[in-house]
Parts: sequence; C-alpha cells; structure tokens
Amino acid sequence: MRLIEGVMYRNYAPPKGADPDRITFVMVDEDKCQGCGACDEVCATGAIQSINDDGIHRIVDPVACMNCGQCLTNCPYGAISEGVSFVDELFEKLKDPDTVVVSMPAPSVRYGLGECFGAATGTYVGGKMHAALRKLGFNYIWDTEFAADLTIMEEGTELIHRVKEQGQKDARPLPQFTSCCPGWIKFAETYYPDLMPNLSSCKSPIGMLGPLCKTYGAKETGTSPKKIYTVSIMPCIAKKYEGIRPELTDSGFSDIDATINTRELAYMIKAAGIDFNNLPDEDPDPVLGESTGAATIFGNSGGVMEAALRLAYEELSGEKLKNPEIKVVRTHEGINTADIKVPNFGVVKVAVASGLKNAAKLCDEVRAGKSPYHFIEIMTCPGGCVNGGGQPLDPEIQASLFRSTVAQINKRFRVRKIKA
Amino acid sequence: MKMKRRSFLKACGVMTGYAVLSMNIATEAIASVMSFVGLRQKSVYAADANSKIYKYRKSQNNPMIAKIYNKKNGFLHDGPCGHKSHELLHTHYIDRSAKLSALKGKGYKFNF
Repeated sequence: MRLIEGVMYRNYAPPKGADPDRITFVMVDEDKCQGCGACDEVCATGAIQSINDDGIHRIVDPVACMNCGQCLTNCPYGAISEGVSFVDELFEKLKDPDTVVVSMPAPSVRYGLGECFGAATGTYVGGKMHAALRKLGFNYIWDTEFAADLTIMEEGTELIHRVKEQGQKDARPLPQFTSCCPGWIKFAETYYPDLMPNLSSCKSPIGMLGPLCKTYGAKETGTSPKKIYTVSIMPCIAKKYEGIRPELTDSGFSDIDATINTRELAYMIKAAGIDFNNLPDEDPDPVLGESTGAATIFGNSGGVMEAALRLAYEELSGEKLKNPEIKVVRTHEGINTADIKVPNFGVVKVAVASGLKNAAKLCDEVRAGKSPYHFIEIMTCPGGCVNGGGQPLDPEIQASLFRSTVAQINKRFRVRKIKA
Repeated sequence: MKMKRRSFLKACGVMTGYAVLSMNIATEAIASVMSFVGLRQKSVYAADANSKIYKYRKSQNNPMIAKIYNKKNGFLHDGPCGHKSHELLHTHYIDRSAKLSALKGKGYKFNF
C-alpha cells in the first residue's frame, strides 16, 4: 500500500486477460471506517453496505460496484482506498528504451491536477500538464480530447442515423444513450441490460484513442505498434475497469495498456522531482493531439450533450450555429431536460442526468416506453468527470477534525441505540 | 476538577447541539462537494470560451478531424460510422445481470 494525494493505493497492476468483474477497484479499510455512513449516502447502487452492528462498511461484491469512487471522495476518514495502480509498471515502461509510451489525458485532468500543486480549485493547467508528461518521458503527448472530438463525429452521426431510420424495419431504438462514462456503461449492463440496444455503439473517447494510437498513430509516426504502450490518464477510477475490458483489442493488441488517475499523475510528477508550477505551457503532439472547446466540456455534466448538439444542429439544419453555447443543457446536479429547436428539422428533445440515481429514473421511463427524448446523456459522478473519483480530494471533507469528532460522538449514540 | 450542576447542564446542552448538528453531516459534506465541483465546472466553460486555449469550439472544425476523415486519403476516409470506424471505434455490450442475480440469490440487497 502507498499513500497518493491523501488516498491509499494497492500496488497492483492487473495482468493481461484479467477479468475486470473479479477485481476490487475500490475497497474499505475496516480499521479506519467509523461507520458514519457518508459513503452510503452517495452510493447509487447500494454496493457499499454496513456489515455489522458497529456500522462498519464494506463493498459487498465488485459485481455490484460501478467503481465510480464517490464513496472514496466523500469519506471523511480516508478509509476507502484504491485496489489497482499501474504507477510502478508505468515508471518501468518510461525507463525502457524499447517501449514507446503514449500519454492520453482526459479533459478533466487539466482542471484538477493543479490543485495537487497548490493552485486554486479548478485552475486550468493543460499546458503545464503536457509539459510535465514530456518531462516524465512520455514519447508522444497525444490527448483524449482529440478523441472526444472524434466521439462527437461518430456519436452525433449515429444519432442522426437513428432519428432518420425510425419507422423502418430493424431501426435502432430511440432515445440514444451516450456511452462515454464507464460507470454508467457498467450500470446499464448490470441493472438495465434490456436497454443495451439504446446505448450508442460508440466507444468512449479513450476507447477510441487507444486503438487509433496503435494503428493510425503508429502509421503517422512510423512506429511499430508492438512497441507502443498506451497510458490512459483519467479523473476516474471506473476507467481502470474499462481499460482492461477484454473486448477492447481492435488494434490487434490491448488497446489501452495502463490507466492512472489525476492523483497518480500528480504523484508521479512529484516523485520525478519536476517543478510543476514553473513549467512552460506546451502543446500536445499533432495528429492525435489537437482539440476544441467542444472536447474540453466533456468534463462537465451536460458537456457531451452540448458538444453533440453543436454538430447535430449544423448537420440537421444545414445552417451555421452562430453561438456555440447551448447553456440549457449545462447541468450541475439532478436531471435537466430541453427542447432544442433546429431549423429545417424540428425539435430535438434531450435529457441530461447527473448521478446514477437520476439515471435510473430516466432508464425506468425508457423501459416503460414513455421516454419522449431523442438523446440522453448520463454521467455517474454528480456534476460530471470534473468531480470524478480519481480527482484530487476536496480538502474540506477530511480537513475538519472537529466534524469528524462530532461524527464519532454521534456514532456512539447510535451504537447505544441499537444495543438498547 | 469538580463540575457544578450549572456547568454540567451547559456542557450537556452543547453536546446535544453537536449531536443534532451532525445528523446532517453527510448532507453537508455533499453540499460542500457541489460548490467545489461548481468551481471546476466554471473553469471548464471558461476554457471553452477562451480563444487563446481553444481556437475552435466545434468538433467538426478541428483540422485534425478533417484530416482523419478526408475523403481522398484520410485514415477514416469512409466517414463517421463508416466501415473502418465500426471496426476500430465502435463496440458491443455485455449483459452482466446474471452475476447480480446470483448475488441477490445469496440474500444481498441492492437499490435497483
């Protein structure tokens, strides 16, 4: 075990071919758990449960856990840790001259990483992040944001196809659900498998960038794909599950070799002795690096929707969208719905759900055949990836010793009540 | 130190206050997370609107997207949702409900 940015990590990189359903990505240290129940409050599926009279919690089984890590980021005692970490393996690969290591950072990483180096909450550090990756020894600084743009092209086109084929034989159903969030995808596969035909068949941005690195990227740079080691850098714990999905081998190799999160990247930068705050702003490498504002808003709940609408509006109407800001779909919490009027087409009905409890409400509607929407975006983490389980922790939650003490007193009261 | 009746009662009052206050500790924690998240969200939208960070704001305007989908010699020349796209960029899903049912069969309860 090792402490990384306030979270304990087990040094365990799953071997190739491991079954992700059997791996514990999020786990509770039962000695540190005080039974306050903060994790219960934020777990949508109920996978984390009280296992005895003292209220000590445990994740009952990895099958029921979506690996979102909201329990981890909301635990005031630091009692929840991560079960998978590729950090040691990655340090080895970075040293190996025969391995071409490719970085693939997600949009939200650049809005959280700075916090580990003393910057204010949410500070954008994209340029410094690219520079740090270069300093760490990554051979190519490619960016998941490029793949987010690609996802919009694929997923937006799929939506337009689905809308047009309604009424035909073998038409794919509406609404179409987004497929970028790995917690949500596992949730749909586990709790709502009957809705799988409604899921967009598009891989998530990282699911697209992995195979592109080993095919297109390899071709463009004249690199042997065999030597390429792709590193997904995410604000997320569930992406570690996605990274080892056995079906993601379309490049002929494992598409994603390693997945780390924002906290682990900060740890690596610190361990390498890089002076992060004084780094210059650098750009990613071209071809698989350039991105747009539509890609960066993937980090917020409602962002994939807004980015997709910026494409769908122009494709469906044949007109230019003058102001790209579609603020009605921006979501801080809960469920947000909107009717988007598209000239020469009609109304596109959309819904955005932040958090799986809200997602379930929309899923129940679809299941009952009562959903009026064309397109539904779902993010497992409240607020979106910027609040992912792999992001730097909110100092407020663990800092207040006073509040923890109060919780402890409260716990004693409750224990007494149970025994009486 | 001997405690007087009055100060004992006062201490009891304070303790009760803390105990009642802490009933909402989890809700409070979540509320503070949302303001924290709000700051990050704001920063994301600011970057999107900042032409010094992002020259383009629509995916279809990304020159590297135009390059990869170029009809003549692009890597994905048959366009979005084309043949090559389906090979590399699309996937299928796996019904995992049986594993959950097995757990429920053992007596575990979940929310859905």
